[in-house]
Amino acid sequence: MFEVEKGMIQATDGFERLVHWTLAISCIVLFITGLGMMFHSLNFIGDFMGGLKSLKYVHNITGLIFGFSLIFTISMWWKEAGTPDMPADWEWIKCAGGYLWHVDNPPEVGKYNPGQKMFFLAVAACGILMVATGLLMMFQPAFLSADLLRWMYPLHALGFVTLFAFFFVHIYLGTVGNPGSVQAMIHGWVTPGWAKKQHPKWFKEMEEHGTLKIYGAEKKKETPGH
Amino acid sequence: MAEMIKLYDDTKCTACRGCQLACKQWNEKKAKQTVNYGSYQNPPTLQPNTYMIIHFQDYKDSKGNVKWLFRKEACMHCSDAGCVTACPTGALYHTEFATVGLNPDRCIGCKNCVAACPFEVPKYEQETDRVFKCDMCESRLRNNLTPACVKACPTGALKWGEKDAMVKLAADRVKELGGDANTYGDKYVNGTHFMYVFQEKQPVYAALAQNPKVPLAVVAWKNVLKPLSLLAAGGIVAGSLLHYLIHGPKRVDEPKEPGESTKKAEGGE
Repeated sequence: MFEVEKGMIQATDGFERLVHWTLAISCIVLFITGLGMMFHSLNFIGDFMGGLKSLKYVHNITGLIFGFSLIFTISMWWKEAGTPDMPADWEWIKCAGGYLWHVDNPPEVGKYNPGQKMFFLAVAACGILMVATGLLMMFQPAFLSADLLRWMYPLHALGFVTLFAFFFVHIYLGTVGNPGSVQAMIHGWVTPGWAKKQHPKWFKEMEEHGTLKIYGAEKKKETPGH
Repeated sequence: MAEMIKLYDDTKCTACRGCQLACKQWNEKKAKQTVNYGSYQNPPTLQPNTYMIIHFQDYKDSKGNVKWLFRKEACMHCSDAGCVTACPTGALYHTEFATVGLNPDRCIGCKNCVAACPFEVPKYEQETDRVFKCDMCESRLRNNLTPACVKACPTGALKWGEKDAMVKLAADRVKELGGDANTYGDKYVNGTHFMYVFQEKQPVYAALAQNPKVPLAVVAWKNVLKPLSLLAAGGIVAGSLLHYLIHGPKRVDEPKEPGESTKKAEGGE
């Protein structure tokens, strides 16, 4: 099912996938352990970890892993996913990229469409918020007044509300909502048809610059990446 | 069990600190070496191993008389307790006496309660990674004993009894004292189960929370954002399902190659 076939195009490299999955898995562990502390009815999640105190440690330490992989996530994708391509992106947003109602010819997008860019920015912003508020809640430094400290908790919860909702959007659009996409994060290769339809501008640019990496083709010179 | 209240009358308190010692004794909390900073108030604030202290305050009244004001500081045992709302494990809970109990075995040392308490009562202990506070001697209450501090009080400054009786006693005492005398506790956070009779106006007392309420941050966190997290995620999941059924996924028409390219575009993704 997830085999790489001749003629497929490389969408992500190994480093991107490693960073993505480190962030993703740590994020899921944080969701599960966080929910175990948020709802008394989910306290039993702690039982699998040797008690709620251990669950707290798992949450805190995983938070550090999440923060560490977030640094790489933001730095490696900032150029491609963190910067808008106006006015094309605005045109795309106005018709929701054809995702919500029928659009004959949605505007062509590059490597990441504005929806993906917004998702990236939301993860970046909320991720930083989660790490920052998490550390302040963990250490409760004396320079933080009690009134200010109290607001770290709803901010942490606000970040969770956003990330948890976006998480399901991401799962849906990255898998069944866009068939052919998920392999970009499994082995990194996508079909040419997928690339031309989903990210035409990106495909054309790679063709023009000769940076297209086709599976089974003779190796071309590596271009400096991120 | 009836709703109980511990009443402290600062006009009867001599600051002998028998209550502070009895508290340490019953809870088996050893004192730590402290530093003389020029006050009998020792330690200066509540500690993980000191659930109550007597405040010593020099006060000059309107007539220019200098006098000592005493105040027993301890957990207020709120009806609407921010700490209980914030505690993720149920280590903090409301007891049948309407006091706020603490089970240290369930405490994970997350310090949520430290931030949530409007009186800044719960104290975190690094060595045990746990939070401690006055539990109104729940173990004594369960055996029909009064809290240790009340038992030790030689002047009647501390009293323990059913809520209605204590509130009435406090009101009567305020009437008897006259002047600026007032009660503290019955009007806040739906009523505290530790209550004061003060001889001076409330703003006079050092480190006393003025008009305390459950912090807005705790309400926003637990009453708004907590349910919202599930609502939002549920809405997204339902919306995704509807999107798949009504609008359908964004399929890619692979050029028909010999082989199984169409199957691939569908395949389990």
